[in-house]
Amino acid sequence: MEKRSLLQRFIARPEFGPFVLLAILLIVFYVINPTFLSTLNIGNVLAFAPELGIIALAMTLLLTAGEIDLSVGSVFGFSAVIMWTLFNSGVASLEIAFVLAMALSLVIGFCSGFMVTRMKIPSFLVTLGMLLVVRGSALYITDGFPQRTWDASGSWLAELLVGDFYIGELRVWASLLWFILLAVIIGYVLTQTKRGNWILASGGNANSARARGVRVNATKISLFMLTAALAAFAGIISSIRTSAANPNSGTGYELEVIAMVVIGGTSMAGGRGTIIGTVLGVFILRIMRNGIILIGVPGLAYNIFVGAIILGMMALHSWLERRHNAGV
Amino acid sequence: MTDLVRMEHIEKYFGRVQALNDVSFNVKEREIVGLLGDNGAGKSTLIKILSGALTATSGDIYIKDQKADIRNTGDAIRYGIETIYQDSALVPQLSIARNLFMGREPVKGRFGQLDQAHMNEVASNLLKQVGISKPIPPTTPISALSGGERQAVAIARAMYFESDLIILDEPTNNLGVEETQGVLRFVRNARDSGHSCIFIAHNIYHVFQVVDRIVVLRRGKKVADDIDPKKTTIEAVEHIITGMVEA
Repeated sequence: MEKRSLLQRFIARPEFGPFVLLAILLIVFYVINPTFLSTLNIGNVLAFAPELGIIALAMTLLLTAGEIDLSVGSVFGFSAVIMWTLFNSGVASLEIAFVLAMALSLVIGFCSGFMVTRMKIPSFLVTLGMLLVVRGSALYITDGFPQRTWDASGSWLAELLVGDFYIGELRVWASLLWFILLAVIIGYVLTQTKRGNWILASGGNANSARARGVRVNATKISLFMLTAALAAFAGIISSIRTSAANPNSGTGYELEVIAMVVIGGTSMAGGRGTIIGTVLGVFILRIMRNGIILIGVPGLAYNIFVGAIILGMMALHSWLERRHNAGV
Repeated sequence: MTDLVRMEHIEKYFGRVQALNDVSFNVKEREIVGLLGDNGAGKSTLIKILSGALTATSGDIYIKDQKADIRNTGDAIRYGIETIYQDSALVPQLSIARNLFMGREPVKGRFGQLDQAHMNEVASNLLKQVGISKPIPPTTPISALSGGERQAVAIARAMYFESDLIILDEPTNNLGVEETQGVLRFVRNARDSGHSCIFIAHNIYHVFQVVDRIVVLRRGKKVADDIDPKKTTIEAVEHIITGMVEA
């Protein structure tokens, strides 16, 4: 096999496509409407992107391990509702309510993982069921009403999760720092550690991994738990930032998150995943949503562009794969 | 030469169908045994019992004269028995080095970091040792390798982890002439570095080229045990397999 040049190797990487796409989007939006790159607008994008982005990081690992979780949007809404219901009804302090909501999300993730690995039910079906159970629970607990909004200022927990500060004129939320921290940790785990190798092996060829002593079931269950926990974490962050805990919030997020992950170059079939790609995918979709409105495309047309981009990226990934693995 | 593995009076029923009827089978140290038989003769069943994929209805397995209790593939690997199936047990998306160490990854430091430099170095040396002629970087994904090269990686893995017995189930299927010669060479290299092999193949010509001894099963029974490929002909062995001649 001949040595490839640095450029060729860069092009062959799964992150190359999303990287180019993100660059094109930034340039096009900026040329059409220069306020796109104003500090105010960048601040807006950076406020919302981490919330879906945190879920996308966990979803990347889950897809890499060959599984999927459709219940993340429900868990996103449910956990915030649980936390605020416990707090508003005086059952628990905010900190205790936070811990309980997170613990409940781990139980949800464990149940999904258990049914997928031990009962051998496809994760698509298990988490579709879980989506309805969790969303239904959120609606039932609240009678369908949003939880009382609450002024988050003053709580150290709220400050830790979504406090904000300014860098010059740029308003930065703590949730962005959480996203960066989690992206670094999860990216490190996936590419550099034994646990990461197990995730890749579980998704690539579960039977042979198992025969080699890889604990496939434990790996997958822990990823379902991580995904549910990060969906809950993101939901709680979102509820504090917007001062609202609506039992319907997060509806449809599962598909947007999955779209972010696959646009970034992670394989739906398992065995291949990239956190860098996911971060790019997160910003591609958030910047699309933001930029399309700024340049005057009707907001209702947003989904046409997202859909077209997903299809285009899939075509590009498949083309690059065939080109660089030619002769296999 | 002493016995590495001895299977005694193995019987296996699937419901009321008897797949193995009082089969005793042994492999000595540093020996390549060819296991032959027509479809349904019981080769796969016997091998699956040894590799932990099935359990015998009755009978005993001894490894280095110690009674062994093999209930699953993990047990077999711990006993030093490695099975390489067709489209071998590799993860196509992962690199050669990562596949070699799968499940037994070397780590360094406090954060469970893979020792990738060590993995790549060992992988390079192993690929040379197993006899792959062209240089392949250890970071190459398995999906970019040919069928014969994949067999080589699987054999190299078994050699590195000191598997005493390497079972090759149809390793030359779907391979070209040159690739087949490569795999046969890997098998000989494995024996020469101290491993025993069981070689199962439909193609008797391939078996004849590499094995020290041939065992034949027919309809669940052992019908020949000690055929020396140097002292017989392919036709004679074919006749034993099909039952035209009793051994």
